[in-house]
Amino acid sequence: MLINNPEFRRNLWLEFTGHRLLAMPGVLGLITLAIILADGPDLAGNLQQLAMTIFIFIVWFWGSRNANAAMINELRDHTWDQQRLSALSPWAMTWGKLFGSTAYNWYGGLICLAVATLAGLATRGAEILVTLGALIASGVLLHALALTLPLHAYHHRPRPAQSGGIGWLALVLAFTFFTKTTGGSDSEAILWWGMSSGRDLFWLATSLFFGAAAVFAAWRVMSNALQVRTRPWAWPLFAILLTIWLAGLGERTSQTGLPFTGLLVAMAMTYLALFSEPTGPVVLRRLQLCRAHGDWQAWLEHLPTWPTTLLLAFVFALAATVSSPPPLPLVEFAEGPMSMAQLPPLVLALLLLRDAGLFLFFALAPSPGRPIWATVLSLGVLDFLLPFSLKSAGMGQLAWCLMPMGKGNPWAAVMVVTVQAAVVLGLVSWRWRLVMKEEA
Amino acid sequence: MIKITGLIFDYPGHRALNDISLTVPPGSVTALVGPNGAGKTTLLRCIAGLETPLAGSIEVAGIDVIKEPREVHRTLGYLSDFFGLYQDLSVARCLEYAAASQGLPDGDIAGAIAKTAAGLDLADRLNQPAASLSRGLRQRVAIGQAIIHAPRVLLLDEPASGLDPEARAGLARLFVQLQAEGMTIVVSSHILAELDEYSTHMLALRQGQVIENRPLAAHHPAPGGRHLRLELAQPDERLYDWFIAHPQAALRLSGEDFVEFDFTGDSIAQATLLRELVEAGFPVTALAEQRENLQQSYLRSVADQAKEVSHAN
Repeated sequence: MLINNPEFRRNLWLEFTGHRLLAMPGVLGLITLAIILADGPDLAGNLQQLAMTIFIFIVWFWGSRNANAAMINELRDHTWDQQRLSALSPWAMTWGKLFGSTAYNWYGGLICLAVATLAGLATRGAEILVTLGALIASGVLLHALALTLPLHAYHHRPRPAQSGGIGWLALVLAFTFFTKTTGGSDSEAILWWGMSSGRDLFWLATSLFFGAAAVFAAWRVMSNALQVRTRPWAWPLFAILLTIWLAGLGERTSQTGLPFTGLLVAMAMTYLALFSEPTGPVVLRRLQLCRAHGDWQAWLEHLPTWPTTLLLAFVFALAATVSSPPPLPLVEFAEGPMSMAQLPPLVLALLLLRDAGLFLFFALAPSPGRPIWATVLSLGVLDFLLPFSLKSAGMGQLAWCLMPMGKGNPWAAVMVVTVQAAVVLGLVSWRWRLVMKEEA
Repeated sequence: MIKITGLIFDYPGHRALNDISLTVPPGSVTALVGPNGAGKTTLLRCIAGLETPLAGSIEVAGIDVIKEPREVHRTLGYLSDFFGLYQDLSVARCLEYAAASQGLPDGDIAGAIAKTAAGLDLADRLNQPAASLSRGLRQRVAIGQAIIHAPRVLLLDEPASGLDPEARAGLARLFVQLQAEGMTIVVSSHILAELDEYSTHMLALRQGQVIENRPLAAHHPAPGGRHLRLELAQPDERLYDWFIAHPQAALRLSGEDFVEFDFTGDSIAQATLLRELVEAGFPVTALAEQRENLQQSYLRSVADQAKEVSHAN
């Protein structure tokens, strides 16, 4: 079955040459021999540690680079069109690339795993299998992300995707740092939604979950790239699952923390999607035509994903308002008819709506240039520079009207941000009418 | 074979295809011509299902490209203007990958490779790495990848760019051969001379609009007759009146020592005409059929469109 996937087979042709097949076990064997000959005090422990470190280097670092290059090379060498025209299904293309481009790394990784298993069984018993399972799942997670990111970026802005292969390094370093800092000793238990679990077991479960999500994301992005249209349900679903995972961590395990965590997750994912997906007059015009023809299936297929998490942010904001979550540390409302803690989530959701509108306003400009940077710059001026300058000049109330954080009437804060959002949406509507007028 | 209706394609800030409607008959070789930026590549990519247009419909062999782009890929081959090959693979493996990824059963792949390689004169290059091939050979391998699954429609974007004259001639022979096998071919180029040898139809684009889509005269004689040109050794003022009065000639262009006209008679009637001219005392030096080449045809279409625009204004 494996070999019947032409994409997987093509990668094997490229990855496995005679001398490479011999080189990997040869080099790893020499390293193992050197450790054995060194004859340290804890030979089995040293071997296990070394095998795991080499695994991380070969599979996490080198493998992620290869997975990233698998996509970038297709784009750079102009072979991507041929692949898009093939009869391969998105799933066959995804796993063919995911495991084909990293096959040589897994070949070396499996040798490391064999050594680590034998050495680990002698020192830690069956517990080592959990750690190694987490290492494998993390490898798949990193490879899937490294494969997905350039493909997703390509459809927004082709050039950076072709030249931005270095992103894989930041990705792996960040992940390695994350697992290192959260690793600790397995004797320390992790509480998740009140359930106690060993650190390695929790790491394994987390890696399996995020690994599966990353492979799923790779398949979805590949589907769209191969013109197999999908509806935007996976993005908000992942936001909800991520919220559940995050809200379960730490001290706060009651249901009240979940809506507020969800709001923050939905906000972060909305910004991420807004700044990385194509959203401009062409996309909006397409949506308008689908709506005019009553073709709601096509409308959903062409809808960018950021509106879904924007909507979700409002749902979480309302839920957080109703369930009285703990107040945001940076927001302190002095007084008002509602309790102080009840309004910040709504203010945040409205700010998100305003920012999305601002991005659309720039994206609909006659010469849009780089709407991302125009939005970021405008937000910097609106949210920080102007309020700070006005406050410094003794116009604190005017500054508060621009960024209603700090002391003040919570109802007024909602009103201010609602007016800001309405003004921005009015500007978007004006720009849209200009676009339509020009087309007519 | 290809039917397009009301096709609109927008790039941000620029309409690349503006309400295009056209048909491409089966078995034809259509020269897709136009200046740079006319929308040729975008049109081909839309037909291939690689881009989704804003509006309109495209059918290839009865399949709706916009609704079922993956289905269309089985019936067509496409060669991009910036094509690539897997440099580290041999020619045989490049073709094997193309065949397998197009869904050919394992048992048929070897035969497909052999047939394609033979048709493209690549049989003795099968074990050579793609990276070591010349530009012309790389082009042939890329075409081989596009046709290995025997598509009914072949779309080629600037296939001859960068090729030497010998390779171009080989390419022309290949297109004639593929057409003879029943393939419908659309070839885009802005070098019209290279399309002249094998094109049966011309599709001219300009600023995202179709300005001409018709059979070429060399393959489909005009209903008004053959286009002839007569030249005299010296000016004769009777020439214009003589041709105006002739029942089988419709004057197109005239000077004191030449005329161009559409002649409805056959070659025997043409011989009679020549004899009558000589008997009438005209010092005839030449009487020959004028074949409009693709370049002339395209330029005439552009001129006609310019006239229409100026009349409309």
